[in-house]
Amino acid sequence: MADPPDTVEKDASASRIHVRRAVLLWVVITVLGIVFALFVPSRVFPFQASSDATRITATFIAFTVLGAAVAAVVWAVAAYTLWAFRSGSGGPPESDGPSVRRHIRAEAAWITVSSILTLVAIVWGLAALSSVSSAASSDALIVNVTGQQWVWSYSYPDEHVNSPDLVLPVGREVVFRVTSKDVVHSFWIPSFGIKVDANPAEVTQTRTTPTVPGLYEVRCAELCGLYHSYMESQVKVLTRSGFEAWVKANGGKVEP
Amino acid sequence: MATAAVTPGSAGGNGHGSVAVPDGGGVMRRLNIGTGIVSGVIVAAIFWAIFRPLLHSPWADDAVVNLTFLGWAIGFMVGIGAFTGPLRWAGGRDLTFEDREYMAGRGQGRSRYFKFCTDHKVVGWQYLVLGMTTLGIGGVMAMIIRTQLSRPDNHIVTPQAYNAIVGLHGIIMILSLSIIVTGPFGNFIMPMMIGARGMAFPRLNALSFWLLFAGVIVLLSAFFLGGIPTGWNVYAPLSLQGPAGMDAYLMGILLWALSSGIAAVNMIVTAITMRTKGMNWGRTPIFVWGVMATMVLSLLFFPAFQAAMVLLGLDRSIGTSFYDPNGGGSQWLYQNLFWLFGHPEVYIVLLPGAIAILEIAPVFARKPLFSHRVAVLGIVGITTLSALVWAHHMFTTGWAPALNGPFMLTTELISIPTGLLFLVILGTIWRGRIWTTVSMLFVYSFLWNFVIGGVTGVYLGDVPLNYQLHGSLFVTAHFHYTLIGGGLMGFFAAFYYWFPKMSGRMLNEFLGKVSFWLIQIGFNVVFLAMFFVGMQGQPRRVADYAPRFATGNGIATLGAYILGAGMLVFLWNVIVTVRRGEVAIGNPWGGKTLEWRTTTPVPLDDFAELPVVVSDPYTYGEPEPQPVPAIAGAAGAPGTAPPGPNPAASSGEAPS
Repeated sequence: MADPPDTVEKDASASRIHVRRAVLLWVVITVLGIVFALFVPSRVFPFQASSDATRITATFIAFTVLGAAVAAVVWAVAAYTLWAFRSGSGGPPESDGPSVRRHIRAEAAWITVSSILTLVAIVWGLAALSSVSSAASSDALIVNVTGQQWVWSYSYPDEHVNSPDLVLPVGREVVFRVTSKDVVHSFWIPSFGIKVDANPAEVTQTRTTPTVPGLYEVRCAELCGLYHSYMESQVKVLTRSGFEAWVKANGGKVEP
Repeated sequence: MATAAVTPGSAGGNGHGSVAVPDGGGVMRRLNIGTGIVSGVIVAAIFWAIFRPLLHSPWADDAVVNLTFLGWAIGFMVGIGAFTGPLRWAGGRDLTFEDREYMAGRGQGRSRYFKFCTDHKVVGWQYLVLGMTTLGIGGVMAMIIRTQLSRPDNHIVTPQAYNAIVGLHGIIMILSLSIIVTGPFGNFIMPMMIGARGMAFPRLNALSFWLLFAGVIVLLSAFFLGGIPTGWNVYAPLSLQGPAGMDAYLMGILLWALSSGIAAVNMIVTAITMRTKGMNWGRTPIFVWGVMATMVLSLLFFPAFQAAMVLLGLDRSIGTSFYDPNGGGSQWLYQNLFWLFGHPEVYIVLLPGAIAILEIAPVFARKPLFSHRVAVLGIVGITTLSALVWAHHMFTTGWAPALNGPFMLTTELISIPTGLLFLVILGTIWRGRIWTTVSMLFVYSFLWNFVIGGVTGVYLGDVPLNYQLHGSLFVTAHFHYTLIGGGLMGFFAAFYYWFPKMSGRMLNEFLGKVSFWLIQIGFNVVFLAMFFVGMQGQPRRVADYAPRFATGNGIATLGAYILGAGMLVFLWNVIVTVRRGEVAIGNPWGGKTLEWRTTTPVPLDDFAELPVVVSDPYTYGEPEPQPVPAIAGAAGAPGTAPPGPNPAASSGEAPS
């Protein structure tokens, strides 16, 4: 431990070089991660056909950007130590490493940065949550959804229509009141980014606004018995006039 | 310490086979796993024969099945001799010293591994073999699952068998992973690490293992009773419809939970009261901290699971309706009880693996553990917060939408203490002298994998994102990255590190490296692909899927086979090593914790002379601390001290 002063100085400059190289590696991995975040998830997610789905994709991308920077710290340091500090022979190292038991600045920086990042994730999530849970508009379309082993069925209380298919108008908010006749199911429309469990003897609620006409999938997302794998149906998003025509064709009435 | 602390007459040899058999044991000489199984089956048959005609309600089948399992457990435990001590005491002929020595395995060679044995090293081996066996069974089920999912519209197994296997795979793996580090290394290594001659309650230690064994048999019998076609979380009311496999599940869990509670008390008391002279909390190895934190979680949260199972058993057996909404019950009651245990359980799996990594990194980096205090802060923070996050599994259930925000908050907060563990590992390996043993490779694989598991946990903790991803394969991939990437990689690091101490033989490094790369590559291929199909919208627990998920699933199945091949190479390595591996010296890695200060094979009483500690075990790059001369000759508590120093049991270094 009684190193001559020039060794200590050499040691300090070597340390700076190591840190600089590791930071460079961190930058490279982070940039790769950000490129991945910007281009891959939005293409992998199902087609985004509601306001919620768009917001969810944005959250995913934002978290991936932050996550890439965080993971890159771990990966860069790990990879760098494996490359730069590996003991040559493959056998037991001939000497010990430096006895560094604490580094107050590194600890403080780590705790500060990780706390800030966590805070960002929390604030982001709470903001998104408050917009998801705000009150439904008064002209929202109400749809009662019933799960049973292993089919979904739908009814429109205001329009007096019952249907095995889910049909919705584009651009109008829709509130799903979800229940089950037997076990727990989960009502999931991947393209809308919404999911809520269908519980027996309870009514749960979720809502969204479809933004793009088209044909999308409805899935059960909670194991519900033998044919859970096949418990799916479709949601058809029509124009407003198309929806009204569908309601009339099924014997329902359209409110003015 | 009572039964394990004996005079070191056997030190020097392997301490077991070569010694003349003392007069002791009595009836215990005739009891072993065989008599246990026979007696268990007989009592189970008697219970079945009595209760079947007695019970006539429509629920009779489940009640009879549950009572039959109860009979098995009682018969097995009596038959293996778990209650010999108390029964002898009640009969006025308490065990003699020789009897207790017999119970500790003295003079019995290999047969002691099949007995109710109070030696913590034997119990450690028993846990290791049981844990690896159940891991293997769960792994075979994983291969069946991935084979079925290799392409859409596949018919390797029926939907019924598929559902049954998925649930079994889940619960068997959860059980295996939660014992696979604390069981073998918590029992075999931890007492030596703190300089003790055994566990605080040796008989409770054996009791906890054999209760678990009885429970595992019950759980595995579900395979013949319709499986667990509900997923491992066994949500009611689906579980009320389920086959008799549900009864096997709930009785298996009750036995496992009982076993865990007993083991937890034992380890906590051992760690608190039996640390050797000089080992204050600041000098206590971090692994001991981690085991204690894990055991605190077990002790606090298994009871919620037990309560959940008791109510489920009543619902199924006598027609109560705690969980049946049509009878006034609530499925949300079950979900809360389940996850109240189920989330801490994740940390019961993860923490021991992570802390083993923290213990091993300094040895192979030849640097002190970076910031012991931050590590302790991280462990305590994770333990505390893990009790407050359970409802993040219930964001989409509709139970309490108003609580989604608060539970999101606590969930995201847990990433701060988890991050501290990364800081400690990175700080330890930075500028070390990295010795890339297989054990150290698994430290790196932990860093790579677990950060993926951790970061994706932040996604799932975000409520709106959870609305999309919950119930999809994204979740499955995430928790495999934490439980395998964290827990199992930690186990492998620990296994390669401590196996030489346990078996006296060195694992083959070449086979180890082959298996490491197969496992690491295979694992990442499976679960990265699974993230993608989950994002695409494939739900979990489905036996079949739309063609647009075919590519990702095909790749995942390929990865699973690579992973499976890696596991087989690992198993081969273990078998070869046990049979003819290179003989290990006492301290092959240059470790400074106390278990490396005794001989290999470890004598029955662990230490000839109890070590005295003057520093923590991370003194790399520092002058060797000198023991205080006045107590250098101290040999533990009065009464347990051996008569004199034993040359054969010392590694020749000054105890420090």
